[in-house]
Amino acid sequence: MSGLVATLKRICSERDGRLGLAFTCLILVFALVGPLVSPDPNAIDIKARFAPPGVMHLLGTDNLGRDLMARTSVGTRYALTLAVMIVVISSVIGSLIGIVAGIAGGWVDRAVTAVFDIVNAFPPLILAFALIALYGKGSATFVLLVTVVFIPQFGRMARARAQTLRTLSFIEAERMLAVHPVTIVVRHYLPNVAGPIIVLASMNLPVVIAFEASLSFLGFGVQPPKSSLGTLIKDGFISINQSWWPTVAAALVLAIATLGATLLGEALRRVIDPKSAGVR
Amino acid sequence: MRMKLDRRTFLAGSSALAILPYIGFARAADRTNPIIALDADIGNLDPGNRVGTTEGNIIRSVCQTLVRFEPGKTSWTNDAAKEIKQISDTEFDFELNPGQMFTGGFGEMTADDVKYSFDRYINGDKSGKKLAYADDMEALKSVEVTGKYTGKLILKHPSAALWLIGICDASGAILSKKAVEQLGDKIATTLIGSGPMVLKEWRPKEQFVLAANPDYKGPYKAHFEEITGKIIPEHKTSFLSYQAKELDFTAFDADQLDTAKGLPDTKVIDIPGIDYTWIGINVEKGDLADIKVRQAIRWAIDVDAIIQGAYSGATSRAKTLLAPGLLGNWADAPLYTRDVAKAQALLAETGKTGLTFTFTCLNDATSLAVAQIAQANLAEVGITLTINAMDSGAYWALGADDASKDLELTLIPYTSKFDPSFQTQWFLASQIGLWNWQRWNSPEFDKLHQEGLETLDKAKREAIYINMQKLLDESASCIWITHGRNFFVDAAWLKPMFLPNGKDWQFEFFDKA
Repeated sequence: MSGLVATLKRICSERDGRLGLAFTCLILVFALVGPLVSPDPNAIDIKARFAPPGVMHLLGTDNLGRDLMARTSVGTRYALTLAVMIVVISSVIGSLIGIVAGIAGGWVDRAVTAVFDIVNAFPPLILAFALIALYGKGSATFVLLVTVVFIPQFGRMARARAQTLRTLSFIEAERMLAVHPVTIVVRHYLPNVAGPIIVLASMNLPVVIAFEASLSFLGFGVQPPKSSLGTLIKDGFISINQSWWPTVAAALVLAIATLGATLLGEALRRVIDPKSAGVR
Repeated sequence: MRMKLDRRTFLAGSSALAILPYIGFARAADRTNPIIALDADIGNLDPGNRVGTTEGNIIRSVCQTLVRFEPGKTSWTNDAAKEIKQISDTEFDFELNPGQMFTGGFGEMTADDVKYSFDRYINGDKSGKKLAYADDMEALKSVEVTGKYTGKLILKHPSAALWLIGICDASGAILSKKAVEQLGDKIATTLIGSGPMVLKEWRPKEQFVLAANPDYKGPYKAHFEEITGKIIPEHKTSFLSYQAKELDFTAFDADQLDTAKGLPDTKVIDIPGIDYTWIGINVEKGDLADIKVRQAIRWAIDVDAIIQGAYSGATSRAKTLLAPGLLGNWADAPLYTRDVAKAQALLAETGKTGLTFTFTCLNDATSLAVAQIAQANLAEVGITLTINAMDSGAYWALGADDASKDLELTLIPYTSKFDPSFQTQWFLASQIGLWNWQRWNSPEFDKLHQEGLETLDKAKREAIYINMQKLLDESASCIWITHGRNFFVDAAWLKPMFLPNGKDWQFEFFDKA
């Protein structure tokens, strides 16, 4: 707990960190509280279509008269949930695979690296289209897709750390003493890998949020009537001649979410992993 | 290399950026050949198996027909034919103009080519498979060749529709026998004609270019050297491109009308539609086979809200298949105004709960809005809809190889022609697996369709088509949405041309204003 407080204090000690934290908190509050204080995000009210921001609808309404405050906050909650879920799953799986590859070396290492290379060889959007063609549109496909894309990143970082640790004398000593490999992994590898992985995870959060918005914008992400920041921007863009606020509201939220997460991630890196902070 | 940003560089850069938009304007103003937008790509260039209006419009400009629609009218005059003589109600003699050459070195058009082209509708393609548009020529019994340029059209029965939807239209395109035999399956992607234009280029999902055919010998020479058609499925996008002066002509959605009226150097064209958009219900599929479920869906969906929400109230609601003004319009057709209680009562009678269906539609903004309103409406009566929005290529491919058999509810926009038999043919049993996505099979409807084709008396035909619409209504397989309204913007310098339905564009008659 004291470590967390100390980290927060160090993040707050710099301007970018404070800004990132403030934006992230703002978005979190919006995503958590917005849906609770807004009407049903899918309730259609044709008579109220394209209503401007006002008391009844804080962010106005869309082309079907749906409350944009509700839809934007639900879309933000959805984006954040997916981003956190994907980053956690891919970091856990990627770290374990990377540690195993780093410790085992030899053909296991080469095979894992080759698989990572194959996954990385596909541009994410092309891979997305291929997986969507195979498994159809929807949240499950999206989670699977982005998790697959991110596993190599975490895997490579964990592998590199594991390779370094493997040659260190205290690891060698424990191995000589016949300490169970799982114990060694839990006791030494995971704590050493955790720092950089957490930093990488925080840096990947905005990437996932933006990727989800991109896919939804292209019609491959969230399916109607659910809302996502990407579909809100697209729907707003289509009706930009009638009303500008749907696009602006969703784009602003997306910008704040990604900027906040990026600044916070950078600050976290400087705090947790100061050695790599200078590397751009 | 390092770039130094000084005041002079900054000013030069700013000036360049400032004049950038005007370069676009200058390019638009300098254009001598129009660039237009189409919302669907070419699917199949075989006239008898064409998919939609895009191919129909291209085929009519690239191929010759015996007689051609006059500019903007449903009346026609001779094109490939030098003369057509009516011998009786069921026999016509024709004589071709000599020297009409097919492009690609496929030689001169002869009466053999006419017979070959029309026989495909009678006998099917080379494997005997019925052509998708075979019913356009249903009345044609045979074509007899009597000379190099002369022949006879023999009809099975008198037909009011044959000329209007068959001979004059894309189905009446005269193909080169030699070319079709040589091309084989490539006929779907290669169009050899002898008409006013040639298909110079086609880049799938991007654009096609029609060029004036210098060898065209008929009376309707194309006015432009080239017309470029950009494939832009979304009207909102093409409208924005038009505003950016990247296009000279495009259709646009009703909700953009006010914006369109305010555009400079632009003409706004507004044509009441005769097309028909409806929600088709697959009567063979699971719980939808129960007519009470279909009736419940019909009562539950708020078509008036769809008209307001998806079409911005700019078009009127349809209540039957044939649009007002067309022969056979059923003026007294029942109007199903949303009644949730009735819908729930019907569902209760069936004892079915937790119904879940898929709603398939195109992935344009209007279709998605319709889908979401229907989804919300049906949710209120306990029916869950999953929306399956498809791009136009995949969507229209459902019209082949029985791909439509798994559809449940589908938003279908079909275009109309000027004879009611064209509209009714898609609901025949023979169209199941092709374009009858309801898979509704009514022998009585089929019989009436045949009677309508064989009847020349206008009043009798009117009664026949009204009866057919009554049968459709009883089936509860169709929820009529709108006959549409066609809005176009075109650059003041351009004069587009289309038939009165607003959908059949006559590229060969596009001209400078």
